[in-house]
Parts: sequence; structure tokens; C-alpha cells
Amino acid sequence: MGVGNTGKGVSEFVDEVRDRLSSPSGQELFALLIVLGIVVLALDLVRRLATGEMAFGRLWRYTWNGLVDSLYIALAAIGLSMTYSILRFANFSHGDLVTTGAFSGWAVAWLIGGWGVYGIGELVLFSPTAAGPTGGELGMNVLASPVAILVGLVAAALLTVAIALAIDRLVYRRMRNASGISLLIASVGVALALRYIIGVFWTVESHSATASAPILEEIPAWLPFERLNLHELTLVVTAVGLIVGLHLLLQYTKLGKAMRAMADNKDLALITGIPTERVIFATWSIGAGLAGVAGYLIVLDRGQFSINIGWFLLLLIFAAVILGGIGSIYGALVGSLVIGLTINVSLVWIPADLNEIAAFTLMILILIVKPDGLLGGVETA
Amino acid sequence: MAVLEVAGLDAGYGDLQIIDDVDLTVDDGEYVTIVGPNGAGKSTVMKSVFGLTVHMGGSIEFAGEEISGYRPEQIITTGIGYVPQNDNVFPSLSVLENLEMGAYILDDVPQDRLERIFDRFPILEERRSQAAGDLSGGQRQMLAMGRALMLDPDLLLLDEPSAGLAPDLVGEMFDRIDQINADGTGVLLVEQNAKEALRRCDRGYVLVQGQNRYVASGEALLANEQVRQDFLGG
Repeated sequence: MGVGNTGKGVSEFVDEVRDRLSSPSGQELFALLIVLGIVVLALDLVRRLATGEMAFGRLWRYTWNGLVDSLYIALAAIGLSMTYSILRFANFSHGDLVTTGAFSGWAVAWLIGGWGVYGIGELVLFSPTAAGPTGGELGMNVLASPVAILVGLVAAALLTVAIALAIDRLVYRRMRNASGISLLIASVGVALALRYIIGVFWTVESHSATASAPILEEIPAWLPFERLNLHELTLVVTAVGLIVGLHLLLQYTKLGKAMRAMADNKDLALITGIPTERVIFATWSIGAGLAGVAGYLIVLDRGQFSINIGWFLLLLIFAAVILGGIGSIYGALVGSLVIGLTINVSLVWIPADLNEIAAFTLMILILIVKPDGLLGGVETA
Repeated sequence: MAVLEVAGLDAGYGDLQIIDDVDLTVDDGEYVTIVGPNGAGKSTVMKSVFGLTVHMGGSIEFAGEEISGYRPEQIITTGIGYVPQNDNVFPSLSVLENLEMGAYILDDVPQDRLERIFDRFPILEERRSQAAGDLSGGQRQMLAMGRALMLDPDLLLLDEPSAGLAPDLVGEMFDRIDQINADGTGVLLVEQNAKEALRRCDRGYVLVQGQNRYVASGEALLANEQVRQDFLGG
């Protein structure tokens, strides 16, 4: 609309506004509906808080859980978005890199935590028989075994990177010039293969890897917490650190700039002399490393996990990436935040079994209005 | 002495041969233009020099080194710079970052060359931290040239730099190419705007259906009745 267009008379401007209001496009109507819906929900929230129907503390807990969820979703979503923008395909095996990180990282953490006391097989396979130790007996919490947990975290990243690079060498590199659809289908195959290879060793049963999380009861008064779960705090600090680190890498290092350049225009990158295979190598390394760390941290936070951990997360990761604008790393961050907050804050109105419906519904509504995603069109990397 | 010497070049894409037995030379610091009708293979000749087509025969020598069969990332190290016609900047990178990418193969960004490019294109310095995608068409062309100049090439390949520019900017673009050439950089230019290009260059090639038709100085080609009628619209 011509707001601020000084060359236009007031009456013409009024006419234009009237035209637009009398025949809004479907997208504009939808945007209006979404905004109205959010306003109604916000007002309802205020009412619930005012009447005491819902305690403020509960809302804050939902919001905090939303932030925590959005952080591990973001770690995984960044890698997915990066492989999309550099290699131009939707990698369905990315969720299983999350699984790889969870299993490999915790296997190493257990190995260190129980070294010399229990058998290697018992430790690496998380006690396949009832005779083996539990996460609690091994003291798998950040206060009792900080070294084991930290080494496990690093191992989760490194081993996932190694697996991702091996897969790239075996599968994707041979298909570098294949279409996005061929690569996508290949990645579905890789996803299944990877998941069930993990299943061969660790079974499809659920595992419990950690001891219960230490809780910090004495919190400085200025922090809005009554008590702090240290595993959750570890997740938040690690994830935020990695995201900030990635941002600095992308903006201020030669490699990061080359990655953004290649995401912009692969052909131009090639003729500029940017070593594209090296950039692809870095993309896999960073994307897979972050996915592995995400898997490891989710287990640290939840305790329970199985070979489906990454697969079940993949839908949320894709939702975040698409919502933010596929191919955009900063979009993936924004999308993760929206998805993470929605699945938690929606609990105010709907039961927990249905909360993912809220996230996907919101995603569909936003995509109807902005088909390229929230930050679509401004491909940042 | 010829810096670039193309002899009997056959080239194309996939199985399709577009260039048929083309000879072309560019001397040290010379300004050479390739003109011809649409689809004559002008850009294809240039892309072949830069290793972007399928080489099917003949030789391409640059500074005494046979470069046919080299990949583009090897060719830039020999001293040839290439500015493609379209999509020739990284839109989400800033102006400065685009120029830095031009020097990617060097260990450090050469600050003196950066200064010289900013002197030559002051608008780029003004907008150094803006995203290249926000630049106008003419500014993008300057940025693309600046990026190619970061390696201080001996020969600059320019593929239709005036395409898509507003008419009043075309003359300015040609002036800038003159300046780059005057500073000692050889220029091989492919142009749709044939008359202007021939007026400016040292020598011109008229390419028709993938073959050399005429080679002469720019003025001679402009004066040639046959060339005027067939290719320059009278």
C-alpha cells in the first residue's frame, strides 16, 4: 500500500485502502485470522491468569520447557537446514544422526563411568541383561561424573561426524549431481539402515542412561526459578554456546563466509575458487556434530531413549526448518523457537497428547500465508 | 605477444558441439571483443576458456601454459578472471564479503587491491556492509568485476556486462572497462551491444554459428559494409 507515498493524493490513497479492504486476497484473510486467533488466545491467557484459573508459575514453566525444547530442536534443525542449503536435498536421515549421537555418546559416557568395574559389553550396550548396572548406579549425573558426561558429549559429536562423513563418502558423494528427489529417497534408505543397524546392537527396546538429575535448590533471587534442574541447565548452556559459536563461525571466519557463499550460489562459488568439497565436508561435520550433540543432550534431559528418538524428532525438526524458511540457518532458529514454544504453551488449552497437533497446525497456517517460511527468501546460509 | 591463444577450438555442452574450429588471441593488455548474433556461441567461447564447457578439440594456451582440461578453480590461479553474465554476486553476503570471496584462494585478503577496487568503484565502499542482493543491477556488475579483480588477473573475461542495465548506465559501464584495461589488464568482452563494444576495443571477432567469420580492429569491423549490414543492423 502506498503509505508514505507523497506523490499520491489523499483521496487516491483512501481509494486504494478501500480497494484492498473490499477485496482482500485469501492469504491476507488467513493472516488476519491467525492474528485474531493469537489475540483471542492471549486475552484468554490474561483472563486465566487474572482469575487465578492458572498460576503464573505454571505458564512460566511451560514457557521455559518450550525454550528448552526449542534449543535441542534448533541444534538438529540447523544441520538439516545446512545440508539443504549446501547440498540441495532434504536429508531424511538427519533424525537418525540424532539417534547416532545419543547411542554413541552415552556408550562412551558409560564406558568411562564404569571402567574396570563392569564389563565393556555391559557398559557399551547399556546393560542388556538384568545383572548390569543402571545409570543411577553408575552415577550418571553432571555432578557425580562430570568428566564422563563431558567426554560423552564430545564423543557424541565426533562419532556422529565420523558416521555422517562415512555415509557421505559411501552414498551421497557418488550422487553429487543427482536430483534433489533421488538424494531425498536415498536418504530415507540411509535413515532406515542407520536406525536398524543401531537396533541390531542395542535392540529396539527403551534404555535408561542417566541417574536422576541433580536439582539446585538455592537460586539467586533475581532468577525466575524456584529450583533448577542441572541437566536441563547443561542442555541450555551447551546449546546456546554452540549456536552462538556457529553464528560467529558463519559471520566472521573465512570458512563460514564460504559456506554462506556456497549456499547462495554453488556455481559462482566454484568459479570463485572456493573449494566446494571442503565446504561440503565442513557442512556435514558441523551439521552432524550438532545433531549428535542434540541427541546426547535430549537423553541427558529425559533419561529414557530408544532407536526411534531421532526419527520421532525428525517431524518437529522439519517443521521448524520449513517454518523458518528452508535453507536459512537463522530461519531454522526462529522456526525451532516457534515450534518449541507452541508444543509447550499450547498445554494451557489442550491435553499433552495433542500438543504436537498445535505445532503442526500453526506451521500449516503460517505456510499458507508465507509459503517460503518466516525468513524465506532471505537465505542467510 | 599473445597471452591467450585459442587454436582450432571445438567445444560444447554434453554431446552438443557449439563451437567449431575457433581461433582467438588476446595480446598482453589488449582489449578484444567478440560480437555476433544470438546463439552464435559467443559466451560459450568465453566459458570454454574458463573450463566451463566440454572440451572437444583444439588448444587453449594462456601465458604459454596449456589450460584446456583445467578446472575453473585451477584456471583462476593462472591469472584469468571471469565475470559471468547472470547471478554473479553472492546476494546474502555483504559487498565486502563478496570481495573477500574473490580472494579466497589467497591466504589473506590483499588490502591494497581492496583499496584500489574501492577507489575505482566508490559506491562499493559506501555500501560495503550492505547485502549484495540489495544492490542495483549496475552496482552488482561493478561488484562482480571488483570480485574478479581481487586476484589482479592478467586477463579479465566479461560476459555481457551491459545486459539488463538501464541505457544511461551502459556508457558508464564501458568507461569502467576502458579504465580497467588502461591499468594494464587484458580484457576479453562478449557483448550484445556490438557497436559500442567495437568502438571501444582494440580488436574484434565476429562469431557466427560457432565459427569465426571476421577478425579485424574494431574500427575496421565498424567500417566493413558487410559486417554492418549483417550484424550491426545497417
